[in-house]
Amino acid sequence: MELYEMSANELSLMLREKKCSSEEITRSVLDRIKSTDDKVGAYLTVCEENALSKAREVDAKFAKGEQLSPLAGIPIGIKDNISTKGVLTTCASKMLYNYVPPFDAFVIGRINAADMVITGKLNMDEFAMGSSTENSHFKKTHNPHDLDRVPGGSSGGSAAAVAAGSAVVTLGSDTGGSIRMPASYCGTVGLKPTYGAVSRYGLVAFASSLDQIGPLARNVTDAAMLFGTICGHDSMDATSADREYPDFAGKLNSDVKGLRIGVPKEYFGEGVDDSVKQAVMNTVRELEKKGAEIVDISLPSTKYALNAYYIISSAEASSNLARFDGVKYGYRTENYDSLIDMYEKTRSEGFGDEVKRRIMLGTFVLSSGFFDAYYKKAKLVAMKIVEEFNEAFGRCDIIATPATPGTAFRLGENMGDPTKMYAADICTVTVNIAGLPAVSVPCGKVNGLPAGLQFIGKKFDEQTLLNAAFAVEKLYGEARPVNV
Amino acid sequence: MNIDVQHLAKLARLRIEDEKLSKFEKDMESIVSMVEQLPDVTGDASGLDPEHPMKLREDVPAEDKLSRAELLANAPKMQAGCVVVPKTVE
Repeated sequence: MELYEMSANELSLMLREKKCSSEEITRSVLDRIKSTDDKVGAYLTVCEENALSKAREVDAKFAKGEQLSPLAGIPIGIKDNISTKGVLTTCASKMLYNYVPPFDAFVIGRINAADMVITGKLNMDEFAMGSSTENSHFKKTHNPHDLDRVPGGSSGGSAAAVAAGSAVVTLGSDTGGSIRMPASYCGTVGLKPTYGAVSRYGLVAFASSLDQIGPLARNVTDAAMLFGTICGHDSMDATSADREYPDFAGKLNSDVKGLRIGVPKEYFGEGVDDSVKQAVMNTVRELEKKGAEIVDISLPSTKYALNAYYIISSAEASSNLARFDGVKYGYRTENYDSLIDMYEKTRSEGFGDEVKRRIMLGTFVLSSGFFDAYYKKAKLVAMKIVEEFNEAFGRCDIIATPATPGTAFRLGENMGDPTKMYAADICTVTVNIAGLPAVSVPCGKVNGLPAGLQFIGKKFDEQTLLNAAFAVEKLYGEARPVNV
Repeated sequence: MNIDVQHLAKLARLRIEDEKLSKFEKDMESIVSMVEQLPDVTGDASGLDPEHPMKLREDVPAEDKLSRAELLANAPKMQAGCVVVPKTVE
């Protein structure tokens, strides 16, 4: 097996046993990027020099016998909406085509402190708005399992890189499913942490009350290791939770005896492919055979979640994206004759159509005369969704659903119709609205394409989620990079 | 519902080209008719989570970690260490 095919957990052990160096691992991943990325298109920026010099630095530390973090020397790819000092951070938008942050995001500080090796920045839907990564201004990303299909979105580059082996692990961000959905389409593990578990400082804001950064990996252990590295309190994010976190990876346990798994009927109804429902239910039944208890539950407001989500997230986006005006950073139009003219031309030329639609939807739902009928109503529905989850968690420990209503669709298939594209988020948005943690884990293949099972957990109970996902991984085996 | 795309664009400091207007109108109308299907729920929509209150930083001057040059390095147009914009006051 080549080094790029190994998991972070395996490589961590090999580094300590001196079976390989971080430089060898990094070169193996960089070679894999060279041999696959013209087909997959996961990367927007490859940091070859920086990565190799960091790898050599880590090797020197190992040689000196320094005690390093478990992820030291392991290559990682970063979604391009997470600020990296001195490295382009474009959000896959023309608006930020030349933006080089003067600071690191909180999570990048943690990655650097853990001595991980950053191989580059990954493609995404522009400003994380989309479900296929086709909204990137720069290029399309292809699903490594079938290059004619999308990798999902918005963290499509993060999922595709892990699936193709052009990254060992990656960071993505999830506002309405943007980690879990591409993880499911690409047959990888993706964790959306509890709101507040990971600092959003340095994550370019889309919808601040919903955004969370989280890990994507080929197995649950790697995802748990990376999550343990990035979670924790940060005074630079007022919504960051101040609490202690367990050693998630060290405590992983696949024993599901006595685990109460809630199955909400609303996630197995209309709009979800029968074959996906079947793959998820077969997996849940397997866990039942291993001692888990299945509990039928109901989350009746689920049918309104997508609508509430698009209202709330677009309202916040219209406010957050007001900062892009061509004055202090990013794109500025060439010719203008007044300040307003400069703003309007810059924003019209800098933003893609989907971003414009969301900004206008947000402007609409917040405008006078419509606020109560749209935004306020959506916030009330959101509270109802929270109540229903609270009630459900009185009867079960975790909730199992499909991660996506279908498997990866073809490039171009949903681009003509925004509402059809939005429907791809139907299984994931409730989690962000309620601020809960959720994980997508592969549960076999449907018509030759990966299917994902989503576990939703109680706030800050990522351990139970990861344990359940670990049990599913025992059924199907760990993912390895696919042939591209 | 009829959506006045040009008005929304103006509020959001955007411009929609004439040839794209009808597509934007159609899309915005179908998006709004999707999202407007919401039930009547009563209650207080403050959305605050008493279990996890937000914590604000101390109200003290920040330590300047970044130099002026670093902060201005991304500015599209500069003159004498300042960002240049069109005239705003007649």
